[in-house]
Amino acid sequence: MLEIKGATKIYGNGGAKIVALDNVSFNVNKGDFIAIMGPSGSGKSTLLNAIGGLDTLSRGRIVLNGQRIDNLSEEALVSIRRKGMGYVFQQYHLLPSLSVLENVMLPMALSGKKGKDGKALQLLRMVGLEKRAGQRPNQLSGGEQQRVAIARALINNPLITLADEPTGNLDQKTGREILDLLKRVNEQGCTIIMVTHNNEAAERAKEIILLQDGRIVDRKANVR
Amino acid sequence: MSYATLGVVIGTMTFVAVLTIALAAEARINDQLEKYGANLTILPAINSIDMTLGDLSLGTVTVGENYIDQDKLPEIRQITDGKIREALDIQAEGDIATIAPKLYLTADIEGTSVMLVGIEPEEEQKIKPWWQVQEGEYLNGSMEAIVGATAADLLKLNVGDTITVNGSDLYVTGILGETGSNEDYQVFIPLETLQLLFNKQGVISSIDIRALCNACPVEVIADSINQNITGVRAVAVKQIAHTEMGMLERINRFMYALAGITLIIGGFAVFNTMMASVNERTKDIGIMRAVGSSRSQILRIFIYESLITGIAGGILGYGVGTLLAYVIGPLVFENTTISFAPIFIPVSLAVATLIAVAATIYPALRATKVKVADSLRAL
Repeated sequence: MLEIKGATKIYGNGGAKIVALDNVSFNVNKGDFIAIMGPSGSGKSTLLNAIGGLDTLSRGRIVLNGQRIDNLSEEALVSIRRKGMGYVFQQYHLLPSLSVLENVMLPMALSGKKGKDGKALQLLRMVGLEKRAGQRPNQLSGGEQQRVAIARALINNPLITLADEPTGNLDQKTGREILDLLKRVNEQGCTIIMVTHNNEAAERAKEIILLQDGRIVDRKANVR
Repeated sequence: MSYATLGVVIGTMTFVAVLTIALAAEARINDQLEKYGANLTILPAINSIDMTLGDLSLGTVTVGENYIDQDKLPEIRQITDGKIREALDIQAEGDIATIAPKLYLTADIEGTSVMLVGIEPEEEQKIKPWWQVQEGEYLNGSMEAIVGATAADLLKLNVGDTITVNGSDLYVTGILGETGSNEDYQVFIPLETLQLLFNKQGVISSIDIRALCNACPVEVIADSINQNITGVRAVAVKQIAHTEMGMLERINRFMYALAGITLIIGGFAVFNTMMASVNERTKDIGIMRAVGSSRSQILRIFIYESLITGIAGGILGYGVGTLLAYVIGPLVFENTTISFAPIFIPVSLAVATLIAVAATIYPALRATKVKVADSLRAL
């Protein structure tokens, strides 16, 4: 489904050159739940951004369902972001001027699908926030905002959901709830790639990839 | 109200205020010019003499043995009024133009050579609205005289004094205020009286004509008089109109430049605000891009915002600008009546929208160029 081959990202040049990703390769199959772990600066988020088309690679390639996506034009990447990827960020990144429901519907509206809030409400029900649909993000707790962000990530039925430290800003209990939610989403057939440095979070994944200095140093299936 | 809207409001407000005041000033000057009318002077076909008062030389006036026959006045009126009627499509009967005949003669008063001007008092007053009787009263009877300011000073004449002209006494009924022209050196008496005193019945030296309006075909009237009436030379005098309109044009040009500069400053204010707004919203733009917004969608959001800013700013700017014109207009141009100018509504809307959109395009384009990962990192 997703093939990452020789992914390399270099910032700067000459003496100031920083290698954020160094020849990273792995495959992701449909229904996988992969946790990418590693210390700060190991290249986890850079890898996730490159997979999601938010950042470019210096070398290597990323192939999604047979289509190379690392060298696409900006407009073609927009289409990948709309249909192929859903994002969950550490900081939730909800738009403060929109209601909870509007935030969830935003990717759908941007894709030109208008007026149908049934699916958004269904997703909000799934994350337990149906009754908060009309509220603004600042009226919600961090965990609730993250649940809204997960609902937003799923609204366009993405091929892969990318989660960047989804529990990084949450307390342990709320973090567990979010991880449980992601696990449930995965069990419903959604492929998830999650960046985390939290061992408990990684335990929910089916597979763990360990990055260090931009290179994969370990890859193992999670035995539960 | 955002700072961007405020910038547009200030720019449009100044623009509308300046245009409204300029329009009112132009209307007022046009009004005045219409009151003064375009001028025509009719002189005998030949000769000129020097005008003097004592030892002072007052320039020349076209007179001489050859006067204009007073009997030609009806014919002159017929041509003048006829041409005005034709030009302005006036059906009503009656006199239209003001026709003021004059007779210039030099006389010795108290040993001083003085220019006496015989006038039709009523017509002369109509033709010279700037005349002000500084002391006493205007001409009211046949054996009266009104004296120019400098002449009164030189001849030591006061209201109530008597001057003797060719053996007849004339009562000084009034002294004119200074006009800054030859009139200050002259003595004015009724035309009929002067003709009688000098045995010049039926003749005049010149005729001043004021037409009804600025648009009146003064040159056409002059040509027609020159072609149809012998022994006279009609000259169109457009000096006053040209001077006043020229000055107004210069003032207007200055005001338009001022309005233009204000618009540019307003534009910069909007530009700065939009730049700041884009910077503040880098995160939101990043989020929107991450969840599937295209560059053109982001661009459209900013353009829509600028359209709303422009329309709101245009409407507010028009309202406040008109009010400002009402307050400032009479201070800039005395006695100017500012009137509501609906023509500036679409103008101000167009100008405000143009400023807002133009000032937004660069920041908006810049906003779409920000890399999604960079904008999300900039938190």
